[in-house]
Formats: sequence, C-alpha cells, structure tokens
Amino acid sequence: MKLGVLVLGLSLAALAVPVSAHHSWTAEYDAKKPITVKGVVSKVEWTNPHTHFYVDATDASGKVTTWNFEMASTPALERGGWSRKTLPVGTQVVVEGFAGRSVAERAIVTSFKGADGKEFFVPKLGN
Amino acid sequence: MKKIVVAAIAVIGLTAPFLSQPSAQELPRRLGGENGPKRAADAKRPAPKLADGTVDFSGIWTGGGDAPIPRLLGKDKLDALMLPWAKQKMASLKEADDPYFYCMPGGPLRITGGFAWRLVQHPTEHAKYIFMLQEGNAHSFRQIFMDGRKHPDDPSPTWFGHSIGRWEGNTLVVDTVGLNDKFWLDSAGTPHTEQLHLIERYTRPDYNTLQRVVTIDDPGTFTKPFDVTYTAKLGEPDSEIIEYFCIENNQWGERTNTNPTAPAIPVAK
Repeated sequence: MKLGVLVLGLSLAALAVPVSAHHSWTAEYDAKKPITVKGVVSKVEWTNPHTHFYVDATDASGKVTTWNFEMASTPALERGGWSRKTLPVGTQVVVEGFAGRSVAERAIVTSFKGADGKEFFVPKLGN
Repeated sequence: MKKIVVAAIAVIGLTAPFLSQPSAQELPRRLGGENGPKRAADAKRPAPKLADGTVDFSGIWTGGGDAPIPRLLGKDKLDALMLPWAKQKMASLKEADDPYFYCMPGGPLRITGGFAWRLVQHPTEHAKYIFMLQEGNAHSFRQIFMDGRKHPDDPSPTWFGHSIGRWEGNTLVVDTVGLNDKFWLDSAGTPHTEQLHLIERYTRPDYNTLQRVVTIDDPGTFTKPFDVTYTAKLGEPDSEIIEYFCIENNQWGERTNTNPTAPAIPVAK
C-alpha cells in the first residue's frame, strides 16, 4: 500500500467517536468527514488540554501534508498507558479520525495504528 | 434551545460506552485508566468512618458537578424558576461562549466535574480545612474552612467564593457566598449573579459513592431557592490526580484564547 492520504467514506454508524469533557468535539470537527491518514509522526505535543500528534503524509506526487491530530489529555493518555515516547517522531502510523471544520488537516483521532497494524488505545477526549 | 440540545448530546456521549475502543490492551494500565480493570461494584461496603466519628470523604473522585442543571431539574422547571433576564441570557448563549473552554476556573460546582478530583481533609480528623483539588482545566483548588469562622461581611467576589463547612451527623454541610458572576454554573450556561449562595450537603451513602445535594439560592436570578443532586464515584484503584494545565496548548476555537506563550498551530497551507 503506497504511502498516502486516503479519504474514506466510512459508515458513521460503525464508528463511535471520542467525546470531550472539555468541550464537544463536533464544534471543531466534522462527523461527516471521516479520514484515514497514513504517514510519519513529525511532532508530538505532549500538552493539555489535549495532546497533538503531527503526521506528515506524502501523496503520489511527493507533496507532503502535515496533519495536526488532536488526542486526549496527558492524564487520560497516561492512565491508558501512554507516554510521550509511545509514538516518537519518525514512527509510521495509520490514523483514523474526522477532519476539521475550518482547517481539514486539523483533525481528531478515533484510531491510531502502528505500521505493523498494532492498534493503540485511544481514550476519550478531554478527560 | 440549540445549546441545550448540544449539552444533552455531550452528556449522552460522555455516558455512552466508547464503542470504537480498540482491542489493543498491550499498553500497561496505570493510575486508573479507562482501559484497565474496574473497581468491583460493592454497594454494601459502608462508608469509612474516622476515629473522630465523622465520615471520611478523602480520596480521588470523578464526576459530581458537571451535569447541566436543566437536565437534572427539567428544563421547564428551571425556566419557571428563572427571572426574565436570566431566561433571555441563557437562550442567547452559545457553547463557544463558555469561559471554561478558554481555561478559566469552573466555579464550585464544576470543580468536581469531568476531571478527577481529590478531596483532602486537613488534618484528617477534626479537620480545620477541606480542600478540593481539581486535576483538569485551570488545575484549581477550593478551600472550605472547618474551624467555625463566619463569612466575611462583604467579601470581594471570587471564582470559588468563601466557603465554611460543618458537620451535621454524617453529613458535611458547606455554605458558600462571595462568588463572582464570571463563570457558568454548568455546561448549559445556567446564569447567576454575585448574590449566589450555595448550600451543599455531602454524604457518602456507600464506599464508592459521594452524593452532593446543592441548594442554589440566588434572588438575582431565580424566584426561589431550589435543590440539585449530583453523584460522584470513587476513582479506580491506584488513581492519582495528574498535572493538567488547560492554558498550555488550548486550540479550542482555533486559537481564540489569548495565551501568548502557546505554541503556534502548524496547519497545511
């Protein structure tokens, strides 16, 4: 499978979405725009209220798009067994989520997989 | 109305099982993670008592203050209690107006909502102070004076106000005045004024449950005082509160907050 960005029309019914205790995610992200991005982690912001994982995806023409993926808070990730080193810069990942409303490439995560298909626990946002 | 619907959806979402939770469990569970084992339901285990005869409320709790008041009370009932200005104001609010989303403190009700929080009795027996430490949002604390002092005559309004507590048998009663009107009482934006007076009655009906009945008394907003009941659950085994500062990297509203130290948001051109 070539490295690239796939925008898939996944069935919404089959996908549950993380809900934020900080605020409702649908204000910023579009539940009608499910996305799947394959790329390489280029930056990790181990911050609050939420963590952000930046993923560089290269399309067939060689153009690199940097996606800004929002994840849960550091306490929620730590409680789920994550640390800031769980997905270090350079890791190949496949991310599923929903695109942003005003900036599509600022997206929310529903599923995080390593290149080997290993799935990482994705906690609810914000808590 | 739209805001109420949004709030209701958020609450339903919070209580619904997280269906897309991956099966991957190879990461170690730590500090009471939601992917870890849960505390066994044990309704028969009684609340712990201290040697001084009072109930021990100390520990990590989750929830107990974040439910929207229109949902707890019924929207019609709340509407009937609100003065016209309050009804008008509430109807005009949007979710994006909530100061909580810009990392401001949530006030005495929301400090116990959404995030883990710890109740500390100091000293544990014959406590002179009770502290509520909130993990999330503004990483705030609330202090309750248990030494018999009175409220100041004319306190300058603050986000958590002036709180004094006393024991009535197994019930901890906390009386709070001196609150500002800058925070939302709840996520639905139920309004209040600086006249707000809260009387909270805490009980621990069983080991895992903390119940909090709050009398909301604000003649500037409501025609009469009314009660709302919140329930908090004891944190999972090994839970701790963890550092969390909302202001650090808040991208809510795509950088409409004013924190000049927050990193810029790189987005695709």
